[in-house]
Amino acid sequence: MSACQIEKKRYWSRNFCVLLLFLSFFVGFSALKSEEEVPRGIYSLEYPVYFGNRTNISKENPLTQQGVYLGRRLFYETRLSANNTISCGSCHRQELAFTDGKKLSKGVDDTFTDRNAMALVNLLWNRKFFWDGRSGSLEDQAQFPMISAHEMGQDMETSSRKLQSTAYYPPLFKAVFGDDKITGKRITFALAQFERTLISAHSRYDQYLKQQIKLSPEEMRGMTLFNTAPNPEKGIRGANCAHCHGGPKNYLELFHNNGLDSVYRDRGIGQITGQETDHGRFKIPTLRNIALTAPYMHDGRFSTLEEVIEHYSEHVKPSVALSAFLQNESNVKGSLPLKLNSVEKKELIAFLNTLTDSIFVSNPKFSNPFVTLKSR
Amino acid sequence: MKRYIIPVVPALVLLFACSTLVNAQTKPEASVKFSGEVVRPLIIGASGLQRAERVTVDRKDRDGQVHHYTGVLLSDLLARAGTTMGKELRGENLTKYVLVEASDGYQIIFTLAELDPDFTDEKIILSDQMDSKPLPLADGPFRIIVQNDKKPARCIKQVTSIKVGFAQ
Ligand code: HEC
Ligand code: HEC
Repeated sequence: MSACQIEKKRYWSRNFCVLLLFLSFFVGFSALKSEEEVPRGIYSLEYPVYFGNRTNISKENPLTQQGVYLGRRLFYETRLSANNTISCGSCHRQELAFTDGKKLSKGVDDTFTDRNAMALVNLLWNRKFFWDGRSGSLEDQAQFPMISAHEMGQDMETSSRKLQSTAYYPPLFKAVFGDDKITGKRITFALAQFERTLISAHSRYDQYLKQQIKLSPEEMRGMTLFNTAPNPEKGIRGANCAHCHGGPKNYLELFHNNGLDSVYRDRGIGQITGQETDHGRFKIPTLRNIALTAPYMHDGRFSTLEEVIEHYSEHVKPSVALSAFLQNESNVKGSLPLKLNSVEKKELIAFLNTLTDSIFVSNPKFSNPFVTLKSR
Repeated sequence: MKRYIIPVVPALVLLFACSTLVNAQTKPEASVKFSGEVVRPLIIGASGLQRAERVTVDRKDRDGQVHHYTGVLLSDLLARAGTTMGKELRGENLTKYVLVEASDGYQIIFTLAELDPDFTDEKIILSDQMDSKPLPLADGPFRIIVQNDKKPARCIKQVTSIKVGFAQ
């Protein structure tokens, strides 16, 4: 054998090894793939420029495709509840813009929540959560319903243990967090990642903002009312909703008393601060998809948008805490409520209906992944 | 007579103490919290503001009338909390902002240089009085008054928190 031949043999054996290595990788990889195709990599959020970039993402918890994938599964995971029947998705149903259509919601102990289930829409731009803003991040928020006796009723250790004992979850947690240990913190992190992807930006109003369509004359008049402060002295009619519900997101992260009561069963922020001027102050929810999220208000007292408009038009109650934006803001001089006429009420509702995003509520990326998948 | 007064006095004292205690429970004193890039985080209430050097500023409100607002220069309060004002307001400190938040969540910002008397004669105060009376409930107890802004949007009402941060 010449030196040259030896070289050649070495060359081939080395290459053979590399080939073998490649093959085994491929086989291993496709085996994993056939079980479950977990997407990986950075998750890039897509939203219109007019929503702005003042987003709220924890530096500790950047979005990844595998994180969102896991979060979506946890969102619909009934094992996170004490009797294995309730998941986040039970009270936050996609087809209702992640509300549940009920005044108050029933938890594992068959009693009702204190407040109405909130829509989960464009939370990426929220910095305060719950009707009273008591939570400062989605990571923090998620543990409340899980451990609350009236909601999912199970402590985080038990939840972690239950998931750890499955065959399904440990590899997923490994894909997201580097090892397969399941902890309460990791569960909330993955949930938060999924929730940040719940972006609604395909309503008819969005198409209007993107100058792709024209709204109907009725809708346009409704929009003008929505954005205009009334001024009876100058003959300007308006509904002034935008002061609190304005901007392209229809969300301003403000907390106000909108005159529902003058004696409070639920004092809202006032319960936390003890200040009289905070009584009956609640988070001003986004109006995106509002036609889908009845019943309305923190206690679900109104079952239709007509009733809501009727409230602002006729029934605003005076109190020390009533928002200044609802005082001296009527179409009739000296009156407290707005005093809209019946045509104006219809126009406002026509505008509110343009905020419905049917793509959002049917997007398969947000749906329950377990509906077809049985073997977990 | 004396025999009766002796037990009445402590009873009165007790009653007074109880009522202030109950008051304290139902209505904690409102205050403004200074936090963020400050050396001495500060919580200041009505009495603290009264003790500081008082300034009065005139400006028109939404009602079209000129009112006299009395309070303390925001720059004084920031200096007291140990913010980089005066001689220290240079270099990267010029990229700091002051985020003011109200009880309804409304927020506005100033830059430090807009507040510092070495940079400007503009008076921006944390007021607690309008025309020598406490601010109206819907505006107070603390409101920022910016003397010369044309729009009142930064004259933020019901202030609860002032946070100093670096622009990133
Ligand atoms: C039993 C019904 C129920 C379940 C289950 C439930 N929620 Fe909720 N959710 C509510 C109610 C009620 C509120 C409002 C509570 C309040 O303000 O006190 C709420 C509020 C929220 C908010 C605040 C939204 C905002 O705009 O501030 C988020 C986020 C949320 N839920 C996420 C979740 C997640 C994640 C889960 C699962 C871990 C979950 N929820 C499970 C009923 C439920
Ligand atoms: C002073 C600020 C303010 C103004 C002005 C205002 N709202 Fe509201 N709105 C609120 C607050 C606060 C809530 C939640 C109150 C609660 O649940 O106690 C709310 C709730 C609602 C809801 C129910 C949301 C839900 O998810 O349950 C609708 C619908 C609504 N407003 C529509 C309007 C319309 C239409 C107008 C104009 C006619 C208007 N609002 C004007 C503050 C305001």
